Order: sequence, then C-alpha cells, then structure tokens
Amino acid sequence: MFDGEPAYLVEMQSISKAFGPSMVLRDVSLRLRPGSVHALMGENGAGKSTLMKILAGVHRRDKGLIFKDGTELNLPSPREALSAGISTVFQELSLLPNLTIAENMFLGREPLTRGGGLDRRRMRAETARALAELDLKLSPDQLVSTLTIAERQFVEIAHGIKADASVLILDEPTAALNAADVEVLNRSIRRLRAEGKAIVYISHRMDEIFDICDEVTVLKDGQNVGTRAISDVTPHQLIAMMVGRELSDLFPARAATLGKPVLELTGFRATGHSRPFDLTLHTGEILGLAGLEGQGQQRIMRSLIGRSQAAEGTLRLDGQALKFPSLANGIRAMARRGLGFVPEDRKEEGLMLGLSVAANLVIGLHAERPAFARAQGLWAVVQRMSDALHIKSASPTAPVASLSGGNQQKVLLGRYLAREVKILLIEEPTRGVDIGAKLEIYKLLRDFCAAGGAVLVTSRETVELIGLCDRLAIVHGDTVVTEMPASEATEHTILAAALTTDGAAA
Amino acid sequence: MIAMLRSGFSTRRSRHGLWGVPLVIVLVLATILTVETDQFATRENLFNLVAQAMPLLIAAIGQLFVILVGGLDLSIGSVISFSTAVLSLDGPAALLIPAVFVLTGLVGLINGLVITRLNVHPIIATLAMQYILLGITRILRPVSGGDIPRVVIAAVQGSFLGLPLPLFWGLFVIGLAAKVLYGSRFGLHLFGIGGGVAAGMEDAARNFGIRVDRNIVLAYVACSLFAALAGIFLAGRIVSGDPNVGLLFELDAITAVAIGGTQLSGGVGSLHGTVLGAVILALLANGMNMANISPFVQTAIKGGLLLAIVGLQSRKKMGL
Repeated sequence: MFDGEPAYLVEMQSISKAFGPSMVLRDVSLRLRPGSVHALMGENGAGKSTLMKILAGVHRRDKGLIFKDGTELNLPSPREALSAGISTVFQELSLLPNLTIAENMFLGREPLTRGGGLDRRRMRAETARALAELDLKLSPDQLVSTLTIAERQFVEIAHGIKADASVLILDEPTAALNAADVEVLNRSIRRLRAEGKAIVYISHRMDEIFDICDEVTVLKDGQNVGTRAISDVTPHQLIAMMVGRELSDLFPARAATLGKPVLELTGFRATGHSRPFDLTLHTGEILGLAGLEGQGQQRIMRSLIGRSQAAEGTLRLDGQALKFPSLANGIRAMARRGLGFVPEDRKEEGLMLGLSVAANLVIGLHAERPAFARAQGLWAVVQRMSDALHIKSASPTAPVASLSGGNQQKVLLGRYLAREVKILLIEEPTRGVDIGAKLEIYKLLRDFCAAGGAVLVTSRETVELIGLCDRLAIVHGDTVVTEMPASEATEHTILAAALTTDGAAA
Repeated sequence: MIAMLRSGFSTRRSRHGLWGVPLVIVLVLATILTVETDQFATRENLFNLVAQAMPLLIAAIGQLFVILVGGLDLSIGSVISFSTAVLSLDGPAALLIPAVFVLTGLVGLINGLVITRLNVHPIIATLAMQYILLGITRILRPVSGGDIPRVVIAAVQGSFLGLPLPLFWGLFVIGLAAKVLYGSRFGLHLFGIGGGVAAGMEDAARNFGIRVDRNIVLAYVACSLFAALAGIFLAGRIVSGDPNVGLLFELDAITAVAIGGTQLSGGVGSLHGTVLGAVILALLANGMNMANISPFVQTAIKGGLLLAIVGLQSRKKMGL
C-alpha cells in the first residue's frame, strides 16, 4: 500500500436493515481492499444479497455508514451508486428483455454524438469488444429476450464490468454457468483485480471461493461472523462459520418407525420426456424431494394436486387407485381426500394478505361447507390453531400481511391442520422465515407426523431437507433417480446422486 | 429488407411489435379502394385524406409515448378541444400559440406527477383530467365559435411546392418523433422502462440508474404537446374553437396505436406501426364514406378490427 492511500476502497460500518418486522441485517460491517476479491458467504437468508443491494443503492439502509475512498456515501438510489463507481451484477437476472445487448450494456450511461443523439455506432463497437473479451459470439444487436440463461448471465457480467467502475459486486454470477464459462469469468475477474478494483464475490461454490478470492466475510442470520484471509481458512472451517451450530441442535428427532403406505406412485412420469419412477410415502414419515434446484421437484409435487399434469402412472391413496387430479378442481378433490398443499410462494399463492389471521385459518373449512351454511364454531378453531401454532399477532382479526414471515407460514400450515388433513405437501416450508420460527415449524411438522400424518416436502436448502426428513428422493430431470435415508445423506452425496444418474429418457 | 419485413410479423426478434399486419391491411384496403371506386385514387381525395388523417396521426404518436412506458392518456380528447378553444380567444397569434403549448404541457406535467407521485392508475388520473379540462374548455367556449389566428389557418390549408401543407405537418411530426424515440436517450429509456414493467421487473430500469419517474412524467408531457399540435391543426381546419371537437379522440388514438401492433403493456411498439394504424382508421372512414356505409357500421367495424389485431397477440403480453 502506498503512503497516504487508504487501505480500504470501501468501508461499510454497522449497517442495519429491517423489512417490516423482520431484522435482516444487524450491525454488519464489510471492508473491501483495492485489488482484491472479497468473498461474501452465508446460508440463504443470511443477508448477503441485502447487504450488497444496500451498497448498490437498491435498498436504503436503516442505520450505518458507507465510505468510499474515505468519503461518506448516501446512496438513495442505484443512480448514485453507479456514479460513485459501484457496479453490480445482480443475482436475479435484471436485463431488460426488449432491448438489445448493446442497449442494455449502455442503458443509463449512453454515449452521445455531437448532435446530442444516441451514438449507436459506439455502443455497438464497445459492446462487441466487451463480448469478445468474454469469448461470447453474440451480436450486439440481438434482443436480450432471445438469449439463453447462460448468455444473459454473461451479458449481465459484461454489463457490470464497466471501465469507470472501481467496485464490482457479483451476486452468484456462476449460478447458470458451466465449468468452462466459470473459467472465462475468472479470467476477467483476475484482470479486474490486477487493475486495482475491489470485487465482492457471492457464491455457494466452495471451490470457486478458494480459487479466486483473497478474503472472505461470513454472515449468519444478518450478523457478522468474521472476516478471514482465504489462505488462513479451510472449507470445513468456513462451513462451520456459516452454520454456527450442529445440525442435530436444529431439527427434531426423526421418526422411530414408519407406518403403512398412504400415498403411492407407480410408473409415474411427470412429463412426456422423463423416465418413470415409483415413490411411496408412509404415515409418520417426512419425505423430501431433493436435488439441484429446478430439476422437477416442484413439478412432481404439483402433479399430485393437478397444478401440473402427469404424463402417465398410477396414484394410490390409502391403497385406493385414483384418477390423476385435474387442473380445474384437483386441489379441491384432493383436499376432500385429506391432502393439503402448501405452496412455495405464500404471498402470491397461499395467503390472502389483506384478510385477517382468522379468515385465513378457517377458509379451508369454508370450502367444505354448502354455500349458504352458517359458519358455526369457527372462533373455537381459530383459538385452537393460534394456541397450538403459537401464532404471534396483535389479534386474530389483524391482517395476515402485518405478521412476520414465520407467523405467516404458521397461519398457512394452520389452515390445513385445522381441516385435519392426513397428508401435507409443502414447498419450501421455511422460505423467508427466521431461525426461531424455523425451529417451531420443524417441530410442528414432526408432531403432525407423530400423530399419524405424512409430509412430502421440497426445499432449496439441502441442509434443511437432510435435517428435517426421514428419507430423501433425489430428483433430476423430472424423475426420482434414487432414494436415500436422510440420516446418511450429505450435500455431497445428494449432488453426486443427482449428477451421476441421467434422468431424461433415452 | 426481407428480414426486416419478417420481423413485423413476429414479436420475438424485434421490439417493434406486429407492424406487418397493419401494413398488409393498408395495402389491401388501398388496393380495394383503388379498384372498386373511381374517386379514391384521385389527387383531391388523397390530399383530403392526408388532411383528415393528420390530427389523429399526431395524437396517436403522442399516445405512443405513454403506451410505451405501460401507461395510457385518456385526457387528450379534452386537450385537443382545449387547444382549439384557447386559439379562438381574442389575442395575437404570437401569444395564443405559445399559450397553448405552455398550458397543455402543464396538463401533461400534472398527469405525470399524479401518476408517479400519487401512484394513481394512469386510466383514472387521465380520466379525471379529461373531465376537468372539458369543464374548463366549456367555460372558455361553451359553443363552437370565435376566430382562429390567420397564420394557423394558412399553415393548415395552404400548399407548398404544389403539395398540401398537411403533408409537411405529417413529415415534421413523424421526423420529430422518430428522432426522439429512436435517436435519443429519452426514447431508449421509455422502451427500457416499459420493457421492465411488461416483464414484471418494475425496478429493472431504476437499477440501471435511469430516473424512471422523471421519464414517465416527460412521456405524459410529450403526449399532451402532441395532442396540442393536433388541436392546433384541427383549429386551422374548422376555423373556430370547438369544445366538442376532440371528443373520443383519445379512444381513436389508442385504437390506432394498438392496431399498429404496439403492446399496451409497454416496451414493445413502433412509430411506423402507429402511423399505419392511423392510416388504416383514415382509410376505413374515407373508403366507407365513398361506399355509402353508415357511420354506425363504420364504428362497429373499427371495434372489430381492434379486437382482431389485439387477439393476434398473446394476452400475457397485452397487459390491458
């Protein structure tokens, strides 16, 4: 470091941020050195993306200071962050689909001709150069909507690597990339590092972190765990920092014995292109659909209630063969047979946010009644469910939208428990839920099974599936490629099982 | 050339929308009218057609600006009537003409601010403005009348190089809009903002550092100013101020934009499509008048055409 130059290019000090009632960042600090790649790690929901969105000006911090080159920054909107030289490649694709690659690359900082018009020639030429640097054979005039996901990811990266930016945030840039693409990206990152830029690198892939990063900061539940030089830590130590506790502390004990089969799939094909498979769910059991994200876990789950149409196979409930449920009234028909479906997106698909806790709890019961029946005894149900589930709300008449994520999820579960369903199909049981509520939900599901219920669950958090379930069915290419007892599964064995078996029909 | 024509029939490879369909309709209509009637392909009729089509063309181009950002402006009917009323007041042209642009620009500004700052839906915000401005116009000029500055009349009814002046109005307006929509930052930002809205990524444009609200407000100002220009043109044609002359113009303008293949959800559409849409409406009126088809039937046909073209596009993309 030269004399007089600050050791850090960016300093974020004691950043706090809450979304409604849930605190997502608490006194988090992060310091970025020029000419270095800084990994930001933590479990899903640890606050990594929120912290970076604050630095990018997308979210406003509630508390804390941000300095760049020793000057304090305010960052009320992305515009100010960009002009301060902070450039971001967001995790979710954010390119505009109806603009060309060149237009996306220069949007918001378009070069002008002397006459004051858009300098499209320069936009095209510089875009072509940037694409060539990343080994991309794309025309600058191609619309972004015509690109594949991986191509979009690269264009996104090319867009982020601006000559005038000194800080580059990469939020899971490799999610859609294969190994060769990652190498191309790493080459660019090394070049930027050599140019003295500070790079933040968010990724879950351990090998990438150790390959490219210089330092790592770990967050957990919205708080700093620590910052280390990569050369001073092992992958194992990093995981310990991220998890911060033994898995056995988090999850209730598994089922001792399994009951009789309640839901059986035989020769089941989720789509016309996938291989058939068999799957059985027993009473007292929590069965998880695991595997890489988006490999058909949701499709298989949803074909059981008709939200997705299966190609062929038989479905048995309590030994009785059924027709596959239809899209039109599958949920209703299956609910009558004691099967409840808890969708992943509880705000869009599950709860009626504007209605009260009570209404959301009993709406499932209403669905069973004749249209003009009097609703009797519902308040008793509401009271019983609120107590059983420890739903924390101002009152049962408070709108569900005013509850925290964990309590919202409990209300949604309560809707099905109130109907005394026998089987719960749950997508992402703890998405956007804080750690305390997670524990409660795990225990609820386990109690439900202990009382004779059965649960089929999907989750993006593999660790959660391993800890919560009795058995895992590994899904790849819309089919179950193998099954394993959850007690023996690790993230590694699940990934290996998913990737070594090709699910697609030959 | 072939590739470009092909893109007019697909919304996959370009963001200009389905402008190929209105192009075919224009060619078919013009052919039918030329073959079936003696009067259509005459010099007088064509010049008359240009003059008839011009106010709608100008208003539709203005409407295109707000539709591209996923908005709508229902107030332009009143803006047009209001412009004719202001021009018909007593006073020098050098005062009245700038006054029209300043006042209507203010109308657009209020529309834009109500929509972006108060978060009022564009339909409601501009519908309210439509009523407010209609009231003001009727106060200014309860019934049709008054004198229009000579310079305005001369600019609309005269000719230059043997060609009628409305043709030059059209060229000027189209050239100006092309420059703004395709050759300026503002135009690109409009497409970007609308594309984000249509794709359900409201924050996308903002994340690029674009001043989204400011650009939306400017789109409404532009729409109002184009409507004012349409009003000035109309005043020159009818030679008086008329509180009802702009009635239903907003709906015709939206129809012209939609028939031109522009998607009402925003981000996809074109200037040439909008011009074609306005030409179709003018050809329909002109041709059906010649064929002695009742104006009531004409209105029904217009609606049917709108439904057919909108139906050609997938509903998800239409937004409205």
